[in-house]
Amino acid sequence: MAKNLKLFDQNACDTYLLNEDLWEKVDERTSGSVNLCFQCGECTAVCPWGIVKEGALKVRSILRGAQLGIEDWEKDIWLCTNCDQCQLYCPRGVQIGDVFQALRSISWEKREVESGLPGMLWSIYWNDNPWSQPPSERFAWAGNSNVPVYDPSKHEFLLYIGCTSSFDNRLQRVAQALVRVLTAAGVRFGCLGAAEPCCGEPVKSVGHAPYFYETARSTIRVFKDAGVEKVITLSPHCYDVFKNHYNKVLEEEQFEVVHYSQILADLLEGGKVEFSSEWIARALENHYSWVTPEEILVTFQDPCYLGRKNNEYRAPRTLLSGIPGIKFLEMENHMQDGLCCGGGGGRMWLETPPGERFSDIRVMQALETGASILATACPFCLVCLEDSMRALGKENMFVLDVAELLDVAIAKPG
Amino acid sequence: MISVVCVKVVPKSEEIRVDPDTMMLIREGVRSEINPPDMNALEMALSAKDRYGGQVYIISMGPPAFVPFLQAGVAMGADHIYLLSDFTLAGADTLATTYTLSKGIRKLGDVDLVFCGEESSDGATGQVPSGLSEWLNFAGLTLTTETALDIESGLARGRREIGGGYQILEVPLPCVVSVKTACNEPRFMDYERKEWAFDRERVTIWDAEQIDADPDLTGVKGSPTVVSGLSQAPVRNRKKQFLEGSPAEIADQIAEIILQNS
Amino acid sequence: MPLSLYNADNADQSIWVYLERDRDGLAGISLELLAKGRQLADQAGWILGGILLGSQNSELCRAAIAHGADEIWSAEHVLLADFTIDAYSRVMFEMILKGMPGVLLFGATPDGRDLAGCLAVRLRTGLNADCTGLRIRPGSGELVCDVSGFGGGVLALIEMGLNRPQMATVRPGVFSKFPPDWNRAGKLIEFPVLLKEADIQTRIIEKVSAEGVDLTQASLIIAGGRGIEGDFETLRELADILEGEVGGTRPPVDDGYIERERQIGQTGVVCSPKIAICCGISGAFHFIVGVEKAEVVIAINSDPGAPIFEHADYCVVGDVRTILPLLKESLQSQLVEEI
Repeated sequence: MAKNLKLFDQNACDTYLLNEDLWEKVDERTSGSVNLCFQCGECTAVCPWGIVKEGALKVRSILRGAQLGIEDWEKDIWLCTNCDQCQLYCPRGVQIGDVFQALRSISWEKREVESGLPGMLWSIYWNDNPWSQPPSERFAWAGNSNVPVYDPSKHEFLLYIGCTSSFDNRLQRVAQALVRVLTAAGVRFGCLGAAEPCCGEPVKSVGHAPYFYETARSTIRVFKDAGVEKVITLSPHCYDVFKNHYNKVLEEEQFEVVHYSQILADLLEGGKVEFSSEWIARALENHYSWVTPEEILVTFQDPCYLGRKNNEYRAPRTLLSGIPGIKFLEMENHMQDGLCCGGGGGRMWLETPPGERFSDIRVMQALETGASILATACPFCLVCLEDSMRALGKENMFVLDVAELLDVAIAKPG
Repeated sequence: MISVVCVKVVPKSEEIRVDPDTMMLIREGVRSEINPPDMNALEMALSAKDRYGGQVYIISMGPPAFVPFLQAGVAMGADHIYLLSDFTLAGADTLATTYTLSKGIRKLGDVDLVFCGEESSDGATGQVPSGLSEWLNFAGLTLTTETALDIESGLARGRREIGGGYQILEVPLPCVVSVKTACNEPRFMDYERKEWAFDRERVTIWDAEQIDADPDLTGVKGSPTVVSGLSQAPVRNRKKQFLEGSPAEIADQIAEIILQNS
Repeated sequence: MPLSLYNADNADQSIWVYLERDRDGLAGISLELLAKGRQLADQAGWILGGILLGSQNSELCRAAIAHGADEIWSAEHVLLADFTIDAYSRVMFEMILKGMPGVLLFGATPDGRDLAGCLAVRLRTGLNADCTGLRIRPGSGELVCDVSGFGGGVLALIEMGLNRPQMATVRPGVFSKFPPDWNRAGKLIEFPVLLKEADIQTRIIEKVSAEGVDLTQASLIIAGGRGIEGDFETLRELADILEGEVGGTRPPVDDGYIERERQIGQTGVVCSPKIAICCGISGAFHFIVGVEKAEVVIAINSDPGAPIFEHADYCVVGDVRTILPLLKESLQSQLVEEI
């Protein structure tokens, strides 16, 4: 018996130095949420990284390290796409996303961040957008199409396009479609044009808290000066940051915000939006390659920032199911279990090697439904999914934004 | 160790227009930024400061409106701004500019290193670093992507990137280092330092007399090159001309286009 | 006004070109400057001189004369074997004070720019950078330069007053070179070099010559994207025929088909060639940023809706696998005709 008392061999253990400053900071920046974790491991189990690369992101270990003050996370914290799948399943309701953001904010203080991210912040500082695009060309997407410039005396809503859709060739078509759809739906809206500031979400998503506050305060001021009271966003990322984080920046009455799918779904249900009964015939005449005279099968990618983060699953489905001639199908992982496209959490500015891209898996899931259209309502999802589609060489499925589908189907006046 | 970084604040190139009536640049309403290669120069200087200690000063020639831009450099980690500001300094070409900067640097006393971006986005002459070496009688490391210092021996080494290959050169201190565009990733501002950095106390403004500048060698007077005409370059609108025909015919057309244009 | 060490009154009626060498002989830019210099000299009735520094110059001197120079100022010394700013500027400074050229031209190359920048200050004269046009005013002998600024958005005409020499740098590919005439006669001026090791502050610790590539200096680039499916062999063959360089977008670099040094775009190289041929490239804006400075863009893509067509001068909707081999044939036969 005495022999068996040697239970604990100190030499066989790894030794860690606990950094009090570190866990105090995480504790403070997560408002104590990190302490709730009791290490069940559910988070690691449901994290989508486990699907593409086993063992890549050990969420549970990172939480444990944060609780104790162990600096062991290296590059792993930058893998998180902030998709909230872990948060959904966490039995204690730990704000896991906040823990990662806290760790990232500490990395900024130590100047140990992924390459490309300081450049992205400088881009926002000098150019008001994270893509190093010329700010004077931010409204070029509107072309000659008479997009109204926001006037509080005429318009109920500011339509906030966002940096990515303003500058990316593919997404500019979504912006143009949305303008037409909102106009046809009778919404009184305008845009800020080249004066539109960045919402700051990229800054927040990479964890630079003080600069996010600065950017947000500046944007709030621009909106105030322009007399903005209600905002419709194109992107769920802008929507999420306006809705859930701007109130922490400035404690005062601010603007209301909706995602475009929400206001259009409401209008559809209220009978204010109609679809044209001949839209398919007209679309075929105009050679829209994704339109067929037979039933068009559509599936939907729930954007994490609209779905899981803001519990909005209904609005896009209402719109899609409402279009005559369209049959709606769900993918294997849908709604609360929707698979992230991989673009959130700042990862649009980081390289994901081929073979590790969530969107590749998602495209395969979409194809399995037999749908010919993979619809989404987020610019990052659209770009990631289309990129995967092309990389996988799948030519018979189209990735489209819900706004683009509505644009073709909606009844337009005159 | 004292390092100086020459920083220029430039208008955003895509916003600059030429007034067809006055033939002058329209600067009003045009956004400005720190000349991007100077950001790389700042980063190189600050990396050296991280490793070897010392102070990093920003020197710039321009109007007081430059100050908020230069203060971003102090927020990155530089220690002080010296702005050479005087209406007699305006309109300088590279000869006058390098002369003026060299007088400002001389006034700072014993300087070990001068970092500059390899060129600026407006004039893009790329002549300032080598010109500065001349006026200061310092050695020079050009097109540098990395530096290493041996302070005790008073030597600096630089990796010079040229035509696909590279050289490692060694020169004695003090020296001027011209920094290759995009060779490093400029650190973002340190927010714990930012308030201190943006305080007016971080700025010293010197006029031409204070830097003992010869009026015949500064500004327009000191510039042998003269701009005698200015025009807006025609906007590059791509032709977007689609070539038609069989693949063989198209191939012939492409070949002709290539040969015509080379 | 700063007085240059000599001026318009006593300058020689000559244009000098600083000659550089590469693996195969005189660098392409030097041949281009000799051609342009020859043209200017003929128009103005001036002499064209070449400056050559090195440890073994005789062959290149002959080549320079064949390419249009009337005289070559040649400085041969073991300490000039490698370019150092100290040695080269010291020797050239003495040459220039001796020969007093009216105009002095350099290639806007790494060495050329460094040398021109420091000599301009030493000589207290003006230097125009990256000129796209050069003219000499008859009578006054003033050099008038076309220079672009602000990323190409603004064109300026720049001249010099009485300071001499009038210096200018020119990028590769701006002017055309002419074939050599080996029957041309010219004068060789062997310039005595008094250099000691102590005169040279720059020590070359290591030198790795251009095994790599510098796309920024290429005047023709043929780039491949996902659409060429890794077939860079065809692109290389075309590049060889056209004396251009091969580039690529991020996907083929990621997949290991070409080196990262050849990646064009926002996170790669930004080039400014005369001609950019984009094959199987969709044209996302982070790539476009890398070729938008090209003078002529030709795009080949099988997708008629590819964004690249918004940024190209000549658009081909077609399969690169069909078009490129035909292009090779066509070029080979057309080039044979030219000779």
